[in-house]
Amino acid sequence: MNKFKTYIILVAAVFAVYSCDSILDTEPQQSISEDLALNNSDNVKAVLVGAYNEFSDADVWGGLMQMQPDLLADEGDVNWTGTYEQPRQIFLKEIQVDNSFVADAWVDSYSTINTVNNVLSAIDVVNAGDQDRVRGEALFIRGSLYFELARQFGKAWNDGDPSSNLAVPLVTTPTTSINEESEIPRNTVQEIYNQAISDLTEAKNLLPPTNSVYATTYAASAMLARIYLQQGDYANAAAEANRVIESGEFTLVPNYADVFNNSNANTSEDIFAIQVTSQDGGNSLHTFYASQGNGGRGDIEIQQQHLDKYESGDDRLDLFYADGEGTRSGKWQDQYGNVLVIRLAEMYLIRAESNFRTGTQVGPNTPGQDLTIIRERVNLGPNLTPTLQDILDERYVELAFEGHFLHDKKRLEQDVGSLSWNSPDLVYPVPLREINANDALTQNDGYGGSN
Amino acid sequence: MLRKATIFGMVCLLLFFMSFQANAQDRTVSGTVTSAANGEPLAGVSVVVQGTTIGIATNQEGEYSLSVPEGNNTLVFSFVGFVTQEVPVNDRTEINVELQTDIQQLSDVVVVGYGSQIKRDLTGNIASVSGEDIAEIPVNSFESAIQGRAAGVFINAGNGKLGQGISVRIRGTSSISASAEPLYVIDGIPVTSASLSSFDNETNPLATLNTSNIESIDVLKDASATAIYGSRGSNGVVLITTKRGRAGGTQVNVNYQTSFSEPATNRDFMRSSEYINYFLEAAENRAVYDYNRRGNPDGYASEQAAINDWVSYTESVFDFYGQGVDWRNNPIDFDWQNQAYQDAYGQEVDASVSAGNEQTRFFVSGAYSNQNGILIDNEYTRINGRINVDHDASEKFKVGLNLSVNRTINNRLGNDNLFETPMQMVAQIPFSPIFEDDPDASGYQATNEYNINTYYYNALDITNNSTFKTKLNRTFGNVYAEYAFNPNLFVRSEFGTDILNQNEAYHYDNELSYYTGSEGTAYSAFTEALNYTTNSYLNYRNIFAQDHNIEAIAGISANVYKQDYTEVQGDNFPNSSFTQIQNAADIVLGSGSETEYSFLSYFTRANYKYKDRYLLGLSARMDGSSRFGENNRYGFFPSVSAGWIISDEEFMSDASTVSFLKLRASYGKTGNANIGNFPGLGLYAGVSYAGASALQPSQTPNPDLKWETTTQLDVGLDFGLFDDRITGELDYYIKNTEDLLLGVNVPGTTGFTTQTRNVGKLTNQGVEFVLNTRNISAGDFLWTSSFNIAANRNEVGDINGQVIEGGYINRAVEGEPIGVFYSYEYAGVDPETGDALFYVNDVGEDGFGVVDHSTGTTNDPSQANQVVIGNPNPDFIGGLNNSFSYKGFDLSVLFQFVVGNDIYNGGGVYMSSGASYFDNQTADQLDRWQNSGDETDVPEPRLGLGNGNVNSSRYLSDGSYLRLKTLTFAYNLPAELLSKANIRSARLFVTGSNLLTFTNYEGWDPEVTADYLDGNLALGNDFYSAPQPRTFAIGINLGL
Repeated sequence: MNKFKTYIILVAAVFAVYSCDSILDTEPQQSISEDLALNNSDNVKAVLVGAYNEFSDADVWGGLMQMQPDLLADEGDVNWTGTYEQPRQIFLKEIQVDNSFVADAWVDSYSTINTVNNVLSAIDVVNAGDQDRVRGEALFIRGSLYFELARQFGKAWNDGDPSSNLAVPLVTTPTTSINEESEIPRNTVQEIYNQAISDLTEAKNLLPPTNSVYATTYAASAMLARIYLQQGDYANAAAEANRVIESGEFTLVPNYADVFNNSNANTSEDIFAIQVTSQDGGNSLHTFYASQGNGGRGDIEIQQQHLDKYESGDDRLDLFYADGEGTRSGKWQDQYGNVLVIRLAEMYLIRAESNFRTGTQVGPNTPGQDLTIIRERVNLGPNLTPTLQDILDERYVELAFEGHFLHDKKRLEQDVGSLSWNSPDLVYPVPLREINANDALTQNDGYGGSN
Repeated sequence: MLRKATIFGMVCLLLFFMSFQANAQDRTVSGTVTSAANGEPLAGVSVVVQGTTIGIATNQEGEYSLSVPEGNNTLVFSFVGFVTQEVPVNDRTEINVELQTDIQQLSDVVVVGYGSQIKRDLTGNIASVSGEDIAEIPVNSFESAIQGRAAGVFINAGNGKLGQGISVRIRGTSSISASAEPLYVIDGIPVTSASLSSFDNETNPLATLNTSNIESIDVLKDASATAIYGSRGSNGVVLITTKRGRAGGTQVNVNYQTSFSEPATNRDFMRSSEYINYFLEAAENRAVYDYNRRGNPDGYASEQAAINDWVSYTESVFDFYGQGVDWRNNPIDFDWQNQAYQDAYGQEVDASVSAGNEQTRFFVSGAYSNQNGILIDNEYTRINGRINVDHDASEKFKVGLNLSVNRTINNRLGNDNLFETPMQMVAQIPFSPIFEDDPDASGYQATNEYNINTYYYNALDITNNSTFKTKLNRTFGNVYAEYAFNPNLFVRSEFGTDILNQNEAYHYDNELSYYTGSEGTAYSAFTEALNYTTNSYLNYRNIFAQDHNIEAIAGISANVYKQDYTEVQGDNFPNSSFTQIQNAADIVLGSGSETEYSFLSYFTRANYKYKDRYLLGLSARMDGSSRFGENNRYGFFPSVSAGWIISDEEFMSDASTVSFLKLRASYGKTGNANIGNFPGLGLYAGVSYAGASALQPSQTPNPDLKWETTTQLDVGLDFGLFDDRITGELDYYIKNTEDLLLGVNVPGTTGFTTQTRNVGKLTNQGVEFVLNTRNISAGDFLWTSSFNIAANRNEVGDINGQVIEGGYINRAVEGEPIGVFYSYEYAGVDPETGDALFYVNDVGEDGFGVVDHSTGTTNDPSQANQVVIGNPNPDFIGGLNNSFSYKGFDLSVLFQFVVGNDIYNGGGVYMSSGASYFDNQTADQLDRWQNSGDETDVPEPRLGLGNGNVNSSRYLSDGSYLRLKTLTFAYNLPAELLSKANIRSARLFVTGSNLLTFTNYEGWDPEVTADYLDGNLALGNDFYSAPQPRTFAIGINLGL
């Protein structure tokens, strides 16, 4: 039986190489678990920067939120020659419910909002000295996004009754688990605008005047000015624009061309911009507007009709360039150039328009003086007694291809080609994937189809 | 303990009798063993005195000499692939034997998980392919060689690029989100088989294997065979066994072959003159359409003004892209499609030495192969070395080693969706020159400079000024030790590693700055995948009371996989001579990551055979995996199977036509754990913004996550008729997969798009039929056939109403097969207007579209409802192999077929789009609507507008095909001639693959999967995918 014992020892030795099931305990190396991510001040701040990262995504403010509404509003200023079907549908005003660019705008915005909501839920963990700033930045991002979502997926503020027109679902708490309660219906345009205004107003009160490349109190004001203008609330629009202009924190860049194509640093004119470097961030405006020679796709050709809208001698014309196939906008030539979100020139134009419309004068300048500041920078003569149309024309060329065409046309109730300003074709469909995943959602007018 | 002692006692008794026999008086018997088919001597044939351990193997000349004890002895001659013969000695001293080729191969040993079994005793379903059958076929990876040879195994090589991923589906797709690829096990060790590509196009790590080292491939299909692999068995298991040394003289084999490949099929595009007319017409159509039907958005004064403007715009586009070509008068045709291809030569040399004696046996081999792809700049080089050693230290103790070192170098191409992929050149404007015009020449005169003013980037310029290489070093190492406590019981331990190191690197020259956006770009990524496994198990076998035959195993296995990855990219180089990242001015990307998973498993199996005809098998495995949440870490996977060899029953003894009949059935449970490594955890990923590090939510948690479970029932019948001249297998199976690991779509408002959950069901059921026949066996002439056909019906069960999409228009729809095409139904062209029409169809209560043509048609697809328009899964797959041999000649012809599947051309919206873009159009678009009353399926082209070029059934076509997959003709030189030159055997052969294809598919090649799409739903998609190569090869096999 000794031999038998030897066998047992041998077998035991062979099997001993297997320890207990500790080999099954593995941990991810590139990610951390969610409870760790929100358990201390530094981590919560890092999550806030993560929200900026999502905010800067191509489908959010990395370019497509500017480019797509411009394409949708186009009536011959540009020609889309690219082979991407999704922007082409937008350009042709024939958006399908499964347009993935439209779906990404929705999905990526909400992903950013969820990140922000996580930051807000853990705000108590942040050290006292930074709590206001962190909270303010988070609210700036959320408020800005809700405003964008409302005007892309809902009817215009001035189209019918915003208190019954539907915009997007309102989510203000972080997602901890996903169940039937996650299927949230669409809130009204008014509710979403109210949330945006309340978030941004709170942000305005919490944020410091300077904050590196992150949101400041003036970024919040500037965004509020934009919202009020969209609502036709000119008194508040003028007040917020004036607050930014008169803060002394911003000055116009002397040379118009220098406003654009700056990498990873704000100009003196930038109130808020998406930072792009060779290391991170991306500029989708570059992808589609820039010529192939500049590393873009050269999908958007600027037509003579657009160039004719500039006065002769306008420095802004110098920024256009030809690449053999057509004329390109020079605003987005650099692959690693920042994506501008909001800049001082817009504030002057908002103040000028709002003051003109209300017939009052908020701030030191008349509408003509504000307009002249914009004009003189680009080597045009003063226009101290402008008409409303003069101001709007100036706005059109100054802010061209920066994402204002559609929203201005709706605000001004100007038709787009053969489409009425309030045509359902000028509102995005609720993405098909959302309709499919969420029974509580209803589709916009003019879009049908099964799932 | 008492029982153990009894067993030992019995063993000792047995040994005693054996030694007693060996001591009796002996006589010497000698002779030669030859093959009945061609008269050639067979080396390595085992010659054993029945009922004893006395035996020897034949030498190179097929000769043997053996001491046989006195008495009425019988010699048993056995050899793989031949019918075993028993010959009574009857006082003879010379016995020469001719062995017959075995068709049914009932006596063959089939490799199963942790062991092997005689095919006759199998209760499960295993398809075996011998290495010999596939050794000569010129393929990039062995999977392509078994296409059409194994019933129920659906293999799709994707497209004609070398080194890319190959899809293998055993008995259908059993998962929606988790991988549906089988588990690959080489010599008992699971190996890394998933793509490690850093790019969208998958690579195939299995292409590193040297096909000529393969002894056999056994595909485990039913639950009784796969349940021993537990949570990794649901997709089937492919067991690869490599060649080993045999006792006997030294055998040297040298194989050489050289090959030539060309595209198997082609597609017609418009010629320049056709293109010009078509696009000018489209420009006019656009103007008229805009002016009259789109509200004149550009505000033209008259219809004619609109026409003039659109035509002149188009002409200006032509002028630009003509680049010196006088397109109006001399529209030269630059055959862009042909530019994608190259003359593809290849060669392969392989040498092996096998030798050994009863104590030590070894097999060493080395191989070099270089293949050029049919696409420019596509090449695959493979260098392999192998040594397999077995040593019997004593009667009880055996050790062995398998070691294989491999290196491959793959010149890769961009994925199908990139401008630089050669096949996308078909989209270029046909008169757009390849090379720049010489401005000094009259008319167009090509220079040496590539024309970069093309509609899409000039892929030739990019390919010629860039490199994209994947280099891979891979070592398979496996040591084992086996100790036999007694003849009935042994323990075996194996330790195996699969160490894979891969470098993927690309470089674009400075000249391509117009493409890359920087003055030169270089990228390099290193991946290390370490996969190691230990198996230890006890094997017990015994016969009780003559009729009770038992074999049982029990063991434990651990598998750990670790993967490290680093990548770096540098931009801006001084000039194109510099290609290394050190010389880059800007390091624009640098990243590293690591991940791992592990399995810990306990397994057991028992096979019981009563009276040699009643079979029972039981197996079970308990699997733990790191991939699952704490709540569900272990799973249990049992199986039961039974077989009844009816032909051995008394009552069948008179049924002389039926030589073999076995009924078998199996039922069991397997799992699929092929998902991401940490799918159950709620995670935040590390990211950055504006130079600051950051965190963002990346995954929402699900602690209850577990494996998908598949229960499979298989009922089969194996038969042999007319003395096994006709043999076959018929199987029915049903596989129910539950708790599917689904990336369930969740509302985007949660901040997430999907959550991995165990929901949903999937069923595969089917029939497989295999028929092997020996048609003519007359003298030297032998004709055998082997036919297999399999039908699998897949049905997606309850998936909680989820809409799960893949590919362009693939979907998982309840009650439909996986990945059905779901889109608008094209209704042809309105003869009055030339508008593309779509059936409106209807919506059912579940929200899904329902075909209902009574709802009429619309020219606006957004008013139509999407419906199921096609199915990418075939109704039948199979193959027919015919082999003929006459004296030294043999011929083998394999046809392979796939029937009833649809293919969606994702490129249709560009290449057959009615001038939506300036892409060259397929020639079939010339049949367009032109005038009121025209009856055609091709809508009126309208430049820059979509007229029916949304995804719809317009771009769907039947993907059935019948293919002459391989044909091999060989001549074996006569042994008499060779013996003078001291050559054992010499075989000359010509072979070809993909020689003929019969199909109605409108695209290039019906064996297609666009390589940038992944996921189990993305079935049957074509997107500028290269056709399969048609390859011709000649070669020689020498035996020394």
